[in-house]
Amino acid sequence: MPNAKNDVENTRRFLKSRLLTDRASFHGYEAERQNIHDLLERTAEHGESNSALLLGPRGVGKTTLVTSVLAELLAKETFYRNSLIVYLNGLIHIDDRLALKSATAQMNLENAVDGKVFGSFAENLAFLLECLKAGDRKKSKSVIFLLEEFDFFCSHHNQTLLYNLFDVAQSAQAPICVLGITARLDVIELLEKRVKSRFSHRQIFLLPNEDDFDGRLELFESLLKLPTEQELRKFDSTHPSIPDEALSNEEFTLLRNLFNPRQFTFGPKWVAQWNRHIEKLVENDEVQTVLQRMYDYDVLEGPFRILLFELVGELDEEKPNITVESIQLLGENYESDDKVKLLMGLSVLEMCLIIAMKHHSEIYDREPFNFEMILTRFGKWANSSSSMKGIERPVVLKAFEHLKQLEFIALATGGSLSKVQKEYQIHRLLLTNGQIHQAVQRMQLLPTEVSQWEQSSLV
Amino acid sequence: SALQPAGTPKRNIQLSNIIEECSNGRRVSRLLELSPKKPQPEQMEEPKTPKRSTRPSLGTTGSSATKSTPKSASKMKLIRDGTIKPTIHARSAPLGDGANELALARERLHVSATPSSLPCREKEYEEIYNFLEGKIFDGVGGCMYISGVPGTGKTATTTAVIRALRHLSEEEHIPKFDFIDINGMRLTEPRQAYVHIHRQLTGKTLAWEQAYNLLNKRFTTKAPRRTTTVLLVDELDILCNKRQDVVYNILNWPTLATAQLIVVTIANTMDLPERLLMGKISSRLGLTRLTFQPYNFRQLQEIVMARLAGMSSFNSDAVQLVARKVAAVSGDARRALDICRRATELADDQARQTGEQVTVSMTHVQQALTEMITSAKVRTIRSSSRMEQLFLQAVTAEVTRTGIEECNFLGVYSQLEALAAFSGVSVPNPGRAMGICARLTASRILICEGGRNDIFQKILLNISTDDVHFALQASKLL
Repeated sequence: MPNAKNDVENTRRFLKSRLLTDRASFHGYEAERQNIHDLLERTAEHGESNSALLLGPRGVGKTTLVTSVLAELLAKETFYRNSLIVYLNGLIHIDDRLALKSATAQMNLENAVDGKVFGSFAENLAFLLECLKAGDRKKSKSVIFLLEEFDFFCSHHNQTLLYNLFDVAQSAQAPICVLGITARLDVIELLEKRVKSRFSHRQIFLLPNEDDFDGRLELFESLLKLPTEQELRKFDSTHPSIPDEALSNEEFTLLRNLFNPRQFTFGPKWVAQWNRHIEKLVENDEVQTVLQRMYDYDVLEGPFRILLFELVGELDEEKPNITVESIQLLGENYESDDKVKLLMGLSVLEMCLIIAMKHHSEIYDREPFNFEMILTRFGKWANSSSSMKGIERPVVLKAFEHLKQLEFIALATGGSLSKVQKEYQIHRLLLTNGQIHQAVQRMQLLPTEVSQWEQSSLV
Repeated sequence: SALQPAGTPKRNIQLSNIIEECSNGRRVSRLLELSPKKPQPEQMEEPKTPKRSTRPSLGTTGSSATKSTPKSASKMKLIRDGTIKPTIHARSAPLGDGANELALARERLHVSATPSSLPCREKEYEEIYNFLEGKIFDGVGGCMYISGVPGTGKTATTTAVIRALRHLSEEEHIPKFDFIDINGMRLTEPRQAYVHIHRQLTGKTLAWEQAYNLLNKRFTTKAPRRTTTVLLVDELDILCNKRQDVVYNILNWPTLATAQLIVVTIANTMDLPERLLMGKISSRLGLTRLTFQPYNFRQLQEIVMARLAGMSSFNSDAVQLVARKVAAVSGDARRALDICRRATELADDQARQTGEQVTVSMTHVQQALTEMITSAKVRTIRSSSRMEQLFLQAVTAEVTRTGIEECNFLGVYSQLEALAAFSGVSVPNPGRAMGICARLTASRILICEGGRNDIFQKILLNISTDDVHFALQASKLL
């Protein structure tokens, strides 16, 4: 029995770490991967200067692709001895000053001592450019610039960094490769004319396959299955180990703590049993329905991995297998409306106010309202109702403010109105009628008269 | 050992020190390597240090890192004095020449491989040459303004002229002259121009005020044996700030008889002096101007063929196709060369697969052109999920209904409900629909406001409705 417990725990840990940290393997997109691979290889080994953009929606695997290419290349001595990787991220290096300091430190230039860079911004830029100019194609190391969130670099002042990087790539200086990664498809239009002219217009698009549900089923299977001994051997041969020397860059952390299946051991019997179970799941019609509905929403791999992570997280000794029910529950959660859930947690008074707002919007075609209007509408009904009589104004105001804090209502934008007293500030309802109706239907302890009032605005 | 005192003060446990050491792990590791026998008190910090010690130290000389502060300060001083020459790390072994013909073609087609004489720019070359040669001969100052869209050979021609003049002056056919070049885009702010000019004259880096004073002194005072200075200012428009003092000074010095300064300015727009510069500055810039026209297809073809002279790996029709396509869009020589280079790569791939010699043909060029000119918006829509497609359809429906480009989420959502009912799928709830909207915005198929406005956010289609219809023709849902 303790053995079985161990197996489940191991499986869970294995699957989780594979879902999260397996950045060095990438499947599909052979042509695009080869393209990037050749580009980087030619830069490092033939001293060619290049620039390229990798484009694709968020979660399609742009970073993973680059990381997996680098994992393959960095294992080769001819590559890592002849190249420097400079990793810049538009969200971290928010202006050229920071980006330059980081680049200088990562290239370990003369004005950087132990990762600290000296001199002003202007000096750093001048020095970096001088260094690159002093280099030449045949003798100096190639520098690979990875610019993640490339679109943010376009908003820097004058686009100085981009201009200079692209300019170096297009002149006889040290060989560099500028690889931008972004989700914006129209990023080229953000570039200034002279920057655009210097960019080589190599755009590599990473787009998911059209209408490929079978691919999704395969992905589901491959992400949840445990590897057999044969597959492990294949993994070893396709994932050569990267020498420490090649990873000395402290900023480039993507290849640290990579997933290694050899850290986990399973009995071959358990593996066979688990895999058989997963195969059965994939063939199950109900599972397929859930997966199809998820696929209809989102075809990307990244978000799907996160959903599977949730599924795997539930495994323990009492529940050693992924069941059809848990997948269905996942599907239900995926499709459920969070705002309706939030509405269902409101008090009856707050719900009444929401209903009053709904009636107001219906009658006046979504005109904004203030507290007084809602109070009047609520008061009319409350006076005739049996349970809501005699609620005092401050209590209602408090409820109104609670609704505002939950952002069911928001101030109608109009800057000058902020000095108006809070009872007279105008608001808009941020809910659809359908959502309110659903919440009223599902709320269990709501008095009947309230749900009746929801049906019709006549009092 | 002697290195000990430098390291020990850092060891007392204070928050500031710990932070510093953690952010700067390399120094700790090096200290550990250099002093393997530590005195006892340092043992207390075992939990922190072992982590660091496993990390390899970078291959700089060990001694330079030990006394980091004084060393770096003196180093910075040496850099500012120009004693330390900027270098980049060298390869383990220098590269040999590639034997492959396609690789050779690719190397020659690289934008950086500027030929010694630029084809199709003979007239402009002549003009700049005459201007500069005349000014250098006469020992007077002057200005010239060169304009043209990017990639038309402005900087390449000018530097080629200067290279030729240098050659002549070395052989003592014309007087000696200094050459300085600055580029507006390589400066962090306009005033850094003084620093760069001064550095190229003396090799020292100063603050801009000092550099300005020294330059002013140099150009305004008379010196008996002054040589002519040629100053090339690239990207002139970046040097223009509100006060325009930098541009004024750079263009004012040539007017002084003492300066013997010839300024050649390069920018993109033809009417920059009138549009951006103050009256007194455009007056100083003078009327010696030269405009580089975009290349037409014949010229582009000639440029590419000149680079490929003596090679048989390129089909000449293929070059013509590139030239015509590029000339129709921008007349940018860089673009034509890049497309040709990409075509050689594609041919190379094919050669590798089939294992036989391949020349770059029409198909390769066609493929390279589609890769580098087309946008992938239609493909993106086709590859997006069904709900996203439905949402886009709803947006176009709402645009058609209201007749206004801009629509709000609420309207789109009600269209979405109708469309979903029509095609028999379950309606995504508003939260999910908003997620879809955000995803489409992230790849800029749609443009929309931030999420704070919730169901009142405005949505704008970033592509034409025709494109959406075209992309969704094959979709199963509609």
